[in-house]
Amino acid sequence: MAKICLVGNPNCGKSTLFNNVTNTIAHVGNWAGVTVEEKYGDWNGNQTLDLPGIYSLSPYSPEEKLTRRFILDSEPDLIIDVIDATNLERSLYLTTQLVELGRPMILALNMGDLLEKEGIKIDTEQLSKMFHSRVVNISASKGLGFDELNKAVEKSLADKKVPSCPLFAPPLELLITEIIADDFMHEAPKAYPRRWCAIKLLEADELFLANMPPVPEKLAEVIKCRTEKLEKVFNDDIDAIIIDQRYHVAEDITKICEVKKDPVKKFKLDNIVTNKFLAIPIFVLVMAFVFYISISVVGGVTTPLIESSIATIRESLHSLLNNLGVISFLSNMLIDGIISGVGAVLTFVPQLFVLFALLSFLEDCGYMSRIAFIMDRAMRSLGLSGKSIIPLVIGTGCSVPAIMSTRTIEHPKMRRLTIMVTPFIPCGAKLPIFAMIIGAFFNNAWFLAPIMYFIGIIAITITGIVSQLLDRHKEDNAFILELPRYQIPTLKNTWIQTWERTKGFIVKAGTTILLASILIWFLNSYNFLLQEVSPTSSMLASIGRVIAPLFRPLGFGTWQASVALLTGIAAKESIVSTLTVALQGQPITTLFTQASSFSFIMFILLASPCVAALSAMATEMRDRKAFWAAVAYQTGFAYVSSLIVYRILLGVL
Amino acid sequence: MNNKTVEDLNVGQSGIISAIDAPKEIKRRLMDMGFTRGIRVDVIKKAPMGDPLEVGIRGYNICIRKEQAANLMLKESI
Repeated sequence: MAKICLVGNPNCGKSTLFNNVTNTIAHVGNWAGVTVEEKYGDWNGNQTLDLPGIYSLSPYSPEEKLTRRFILDSEPDLIIDVIDATNLERSLYLTTQLVELGRPMILALNMGDLLEKEGIKIDTEQLSKMFHSRVVNISASKGLGFDELNKAVEKSLADKKVPSCPLFAPPLELLITEIIADDFMHEAPKAYPRRWCAIKLLEADELFLANMPPVPEKLAEVIKCRTEKLEKVFNDDIDAIIIDQRYHVAEDITKICEVKKDPVKKFKLDNIVTNKFLAIPIFVLVMAFVFYISISVVGGVTTPLIESSIATIRESLHSLLNNLGVISFLSNMLIDGIISGVGAVLTFVPQLFVLFALLSFLEDCGYMSRIAFIMDRAMRSLGLSGKSIIPLVIGTGCSVPAIMSTRTIEHPKMRRLTIMVTPFIPCGAKLPIFAMIIGAFFNNAWFLAPIMYFIGIIAITITGIVSQLLDRHKEDNAFILELPRYQIPTLKNTWIQTWERTKGFIVKAGTTILLASILIWFLNSYNFLLQEVSPTSSMLASIGRVIAPLFRPLGFGTWQASVALLTGIAAKESIVSTLTVALQGQPITTLFTQASSFSFIMFILLASPCVAALSAMATEMRDRKAFWAAVAYQTGFAYVSSLIVYRILLGVL
Repeated sequence: MNNKTVEDLNVGQSGIISAIDAPKEIKRRLMDMGFTRGIRVDVIKKAPMGDPLEVGIRGYNICIRKEQAANLMLKESI
């Protein structure tokens, strides 16, 4: 089995290609860095990896590091460099770096169907000669050219032809040749091509040097002296000289292989979408539409339907099991534990499905990048960047993919801040508990759901302003983001992404929440002597009573509420099911007052997220201390703000 | 001495880059995206709040903040 990896710029259609040729699935988005995890798939029996979209192999962003490490260390049998053919010159810049890695390579010119429309012609034969690699024209979204690509893959895996590296200007080329000839090069791992090592040595690349023994003094001296001379000749620093040379190569090749009519792209839709006056109202309208459709329209229809069918199932199952004479332990566990608990969660799967589908559409069509563009200025005053808006928008669905999408934020400090505030945006799983409380205590007041999002935004604003004030080492932050062309997402990509994310919820309902429901039912129905008792003297009540005093100042110091919060750590959806099971048919109005119920949902909104999101936070923060500080901050912030709001509400209501 | 940068260009204007004066990492990032010497930059649009800018370069569109635009020095126009 051969190993193939797909590499290319963000938005080049790499993930679309991956979804179309392999059996496994990757998320696709028209947004830099949507492939936030490595994704494996099977392509005609070859193990295929979809790597994150990158512009360069510099050692700065986490994605570039990942791609580079993968290609060097796992030695793939074939690299497929996916190129947006309408953007040849910039794409070839990455190609000039990929060829140096010394693996067999195919150039897949994607978006072939758009070339004619944009007045571009590419001479693939010439291009193939330039890099000594196979070049194939494809259209990943329309499924064109796959036969040819399959053939090229077969041939390349058979002949293992390695691409050639285009040469740089003579003074630089001379120095590279000299370094390659030095004995020190034998110290480099065998898989690392010599030319690549020499260039990394010149660039004093940290990642590369960390894997090498110290550079001998003599060689270091030669490099230093020669580099200084070069820097004088080119009047720039060595890093810049090398990038400049790469782009010269890319320009020269493009000049030979491409005929292009119009050098500047204009997107007609942007006249409206990023219009000075319309941009922000459109953004607000789009988000309002997304929530209205998924929560009010779809949720409004499906929730009562599912609830009533669950009630029917409960009743008929109850009489059936009674008639069959099943022991009450089992029938109670099934009906009061599993069906009540899991059912409460499944109720909102349809509306989440629609929410995920709409968000996926926004990602794929190119609108997310525009949101980043129009919101950057506002986000910046909070110490965030336009790129932080994407995690926040995705966070309305689920914090886990949202936290993962922060990888495109280059600046580590800003990335951590974005990760910390993302859970403040109410995720889909928190909606049922809001709905339950708003329904029971506030007569379904329409304005309360938007208020929850608003509170989340205020929490982010406060956090941003405070962190800005505390930050003593303000660093230079850049915001550099490509604005891709608008496109209509393919049905397959939208479906795959929506289904993947929805599946995550259903799987959780079938596993974590199923187990939690059984456990809660058991703890709630028995005491420590394993005697069947009423809920008020159950084990759960005892545990809840221990923690409850902590929440008394916030107005919800009951054991039921405390236990619900505990199970909420496993999954926010279980808060509803825990309350349902723990209440045992009593109305929820026995637990809260208006003021304390609001304080309760506010605490849920702001306190640290579920286990899945916590683990995503830990992974993406890459710093244990920062992670625990973030969790402590979220929970502390939730406690204090619920306390304040509760006290105010007590006075008002 | 000519100190004109991309930041000084109005929407619809263009210029040729002569140098990039930015901290190492940002300079590298800008250059990776194709902002190199001798390249033409077209200012296409400003965001609704005046910042960032949308510019055209090497046949594609990218947005950068004014700060970065001020790092991109321009050649004197003839």
